[in-house]
Amino acid sequence: MTRSSRIIETEVLIIGSGAGGATTAAVLAEAGRRVTVVEEGPWIDPDAVEPFSIEEMVRKYRHHGSSAALGSPPIAYAEGRCVGGSTEVNSGLWNRLPDYLAEEWSRTYDIDEFSPTALDAYAERVESWQSVGKVPGAPPLSSALLERGAAKLGWRSVEFSRVFRYEAGVADATRGVKQTMARTQIPRAIAAGASLLPECRVVRLERKGPRIIGALCRQQTADGGPDEDVVVRADHVFVCGGAIQTPALLQRSGIRRRIGSGLKLHPTIKIAARFPHLLDHDSIPMHRVIEFAPNLTIGGSASRRGHIGLALADSGLDHEDALADWERMSVYYAAIRSEGSGRVRAVPGLRAPLVTYRLTDGDMSRLARGLVHLGELLLAAGATELHPSVEGGPVVRQTDELLQWWNRVDRTRSNLMTVHLTSSVRMGNDRSSTGADSFGAVHDFDNLRVNDASLLPDAPGVNPQAAVMTIALRNAEHFLASP
Amino acid sequence: MNTDLGSAPDVTPPDRVVVTGASGWLGQNLVRALAPSRAQVRCLVPDATAVPLLEIAGPSVDVVVGDVRDPDILDRLFSDTASATVFHAAAVIHPASKRTRELYDVNVGGTQLVLDRARRAGAGRFLHVSSNSPFGANPTADDRFTEDSPFAPYLAYGQSKLEAEELVRRATERGDVEGVILRPPWFYGPFQPARQTQWLATIRRGRFPLVGDGSQRRSMVFTGNLVHGLLRAEVAAAAPGRAYWIADAEPHRLDEVFATVRRALAAEGLAVSGGQPRLPRLAGLVAATADSALQSTGRYVQALHVLGELKDTIACDISRARSEIGYDPPTTLFDGIRASVRWCLERGQSL
Repeated sequence: MTRSSRIIETEVLIIGSGAGGATTAAVLAEAGRRVTVVEEGPWIDPDAVEPFSIEEMVRKYRHHGSSAALGSPPIAYAEGRCVGGSTEVNSGLWNRLPDYLAEEWSRTYDIDEFSPTALDAYAERVESWQSVGKVPGAPPLSSALLERGAAKLGWRSVEFSRVFRYEAGVADATRGVKQTMARTQIPRAIAAGASLLPECRVVRLERKGPRIIGALCRQQTADGGPDEDVVVRADHVFVCGGAIQTPALLQRSGIRRRIGSGLKLHPTIKIAARFPHLLDHDSIPMHRVIEFAPNLTIGGSASRRGHIGLALADSGLDHEDALADWERMSVYYAAIRSEGSGRVRAVPGLRAPLVTYRLTDGDMSRLARGLVHLGELLLAAGATELHPSVEGGPVVRQTDELLQWWNRVDRTRSNLMTVHLTSSVRMGNDRSSTGADSFGAVHDFDNLRVNDASLLPDAPGVNPQAAVMTIALRNAEHFLASP
Repeated sequence: MNTDLGSAPDVTPPDRVVVTGASGWLGQNLVRALAPSRAQVRCLVPDATAVPLLEIAGPSVDVVVGDVRDPDILDRLFSDTASATVFHAAAVIHPASKRTRELYDVNVGGTQLVLDRARRAGAGRFLHVSSNSPFGANPTADDRFTEDSPFAPYLAYGQSKLEAEELVRRATERGDVEGVILRPPWFYGPFQPARQTQWLATIRRGRFPLVGDGSQRRSMVFTGNLVHGLLRAEVAAAAPGRAYWIADAEPHRLDEVFATVRRALAAEGLAVSGGQPRLPRLAGLVAATADSALQSTGRYVQALHVLGELKDTIACDISRARSEIGYDPPTTLFDGIRASVRWCLERGQSL
C-alpha cells in the first residue's frame, strides 16, 4: 500500500447490505456483536427516488442496470448497487422456498437442518419483520389482467404476497411502501450499534492460512477527492455481495475452489402488450400465472414509459406508434428454470468480473414455449398487439400468429434478461459440488462465511428474496450458537 | 390396489377420439384400428399430403392439418371433443432440421400444448406415447427394465421424452387429465418410414453391420401389438396414472433379430444374402461418443445416433402391462416382419 490506510477494528465484518447482508447485520448486532457493514454503493434515501422508475435504475443499479452474462445468447442482468442492494429495486414479491426444493437440495447437496419445517420457522420470523401481505383492496389492472387471461384459459394463477407496508385503513394498492433493507434491517442493525460504511468497496480479503485477518477497502470521500484506503480488521467476515460480487471478491482474494461456477439464473423473455384501455404504471403486477410452474412462470414487469420504450426497442421494429400509446401498454414476461449454468470469473485488472452463462437447447425451447404461452394469455386478457423481445418480432395480434415465435426465439435473435442470480458458491456438506458448508462457512476457512443468494444450490423458480433472508437468519443464528 | 383394478371391468371406449401424429408410423396403424368402430377420429397431421391416405381409413376420420406447437390449430383439433380419448403420438425422433432443439420444441412443447387443450376440452383418457429412451440402456444383457427402473435419459431425445412424461404425470396428479404413459421400444410394422425399409433392404443384401457379438438384447414392438396395448390402456380400469412398457412378449438377442429378418424376407420369396458384416463394439462406442459431442452443440446426425445405440441392450419386462391392463401381444417378430415386408412389396417399394 502506497497511501496511508485508515484502520477499522471490528468483531464482525459484513460485506454487502442487501437481503443477505442486512439480515445478518441486524441479527448479529441485536445479539450484541460489534458489527461493521461495508457497502460498495451509496446510501440513497428510499423516499428520494420514484419506485420502479428509470431514475431508480440509473441510481441504484450496478452499471445503471446494464450488466450482461455473456453467452449465446447473452443475458442482461440487473443487480442493486446501493445500501439495501437489490431489495431497493426489486418487485418486493415474497415467496418462500418451495418445500420440494428444500427437500431436493437437502438431499442432493447434503445440507444439514434444511427441512421445510425448519425453514418455515425462520421464514415466519422474517415475515413478521417485513410486513408481508397481500395488497389491500383491488389489485392494479395490469395485475388483474394476468388473472383475467388465466381464468379465460383455465390456467392457475395466484396473487403473491409482497413486502409492502400500508397505513391502517388504506385500500389503495399503490399506496404501500416497500419494506426494503434500507427501511427495515439496516435501521435495525444501526439501532443495535452496527456501523455502516457506504461507498466502500472491498478490493480483497487478506488471509493468513485458514483465517481471514481483514479486508482492504477503498472508500469514496465525501468531498469527491481521491478514494481513501481503509483496512478493516475483523474476527469474522461474512461476504454478502450477491451471486456475482461474492464469488468475484473471493476469487480476487485467492479463494477459488468451487467458487464462481454453477451460477444459476432465471432467463426471462418479455412482451410489451398493448391494450385498448388505459393501464396503471406505478406498481409491478403481483399476480403470477403458475400453470406451468416451477419450470416456467408468467408475470408482469415495471412498466413506466421508459421500461416500455426499452421493451419495444428489443424487437428492432418501428414502434413509434406504440410508444406514443404507452399509457395503454404494459410489460409482461415468461421466466424459466434453466438446465444450463454459468460462471463468474474475476479478471485481473478489471473491476467487473466476467460473467458467462450457457443456455441448453431445452432452455431455448422452454423460452420459446414461454413466449407462446405468454402471448396466448395476453390475447385472452384482451391485448390487441404484442411486441416480443425478439429481434424482428414479429408483432402478433391474434392467436394464429403465435406459431411463428417458436422458430424466431433462437440464440441470435432473443433478447433475454434476468433479475435473479444465485448458486455461484452453494452450501452443503458435499464438497465436490459446494463452496461452503451447510451454514455458509467457506470450506477450509475458520472465520469466513458467505450469506447471500450465492448459497442457494440452484435457482428457486420464484423470487429469491424470501429464501435469501430466511437462510441468512438461519445461518446468522447458527453462527451465534457456534463456539 | 392395481391388482384389484386389474380384474375390474373395462370402461366403455368413447366413440370420439383425438389422434396426434396420425400420419406417423404408429398413427397410421392406430387410425385404421379406430376408424371402423368410432364415430369420430379427429386427426392431427403436420402436412396436407398425408390427408388422403388417412381419409381412406373410413368416413369417421376427420383430419386437421397443422403444427402441434400451434395454439390455434390445437383449438381446432380439440373443438367438440368432450370425453374423447386422446392418443398423443406426435413426436420427433430423428429431427428433419438436424438440430436437437426440434426434439424439445415438439416432444416437450407439443405435449404441453396438447395436454392443456385436452384439459380445456374436457377430454377423456390421455394416452401418451413415450419411449425407452428416458431409461437409456440396461446395465447388463440379462437386465430388464421395469416401470420402476431409474431414469437415465439417453441424449437429447431421451431427455425430451422424459420431460414430456413428467408433464403428463404432473397433469394427471393434479387432475387435469387422466394420463397413461405407454413406453414402446423399437417399432416394426406397416407404414414404416423409409429408414426402416432401408434397414430391411440392407439386411437382405448382407450389408447391415452387427455391432459387438450380437448377444445384446433388444425389445421390439410390432405396431399391431402396440395398437393393441393402446386400446387396452384406453379401457382398462387400472391404467389411469400408470406407466407401462408395451413391447413384444420377450426381448431378442440382436443376432437373432437379424436372423429372423432374413428368414422373414426369405419366407416372402425374396433372395437373401447370407453375409453378416460385423463391427467391434468399440465402433458403437465411438459413434455414441461422436453423437453425444455433436448433440452437445445442438447438432444431430441420424446414422451416428443409430450406430451408437446398436451396441446396447435395451430390453424391458411387460409383466405389468399384462397383469394390469390385459396386454397380450398377439404377433411374433417373425410374423410381424413378414407383414412389414408384404406391406413394402404391396406398395412397390424395393427391398
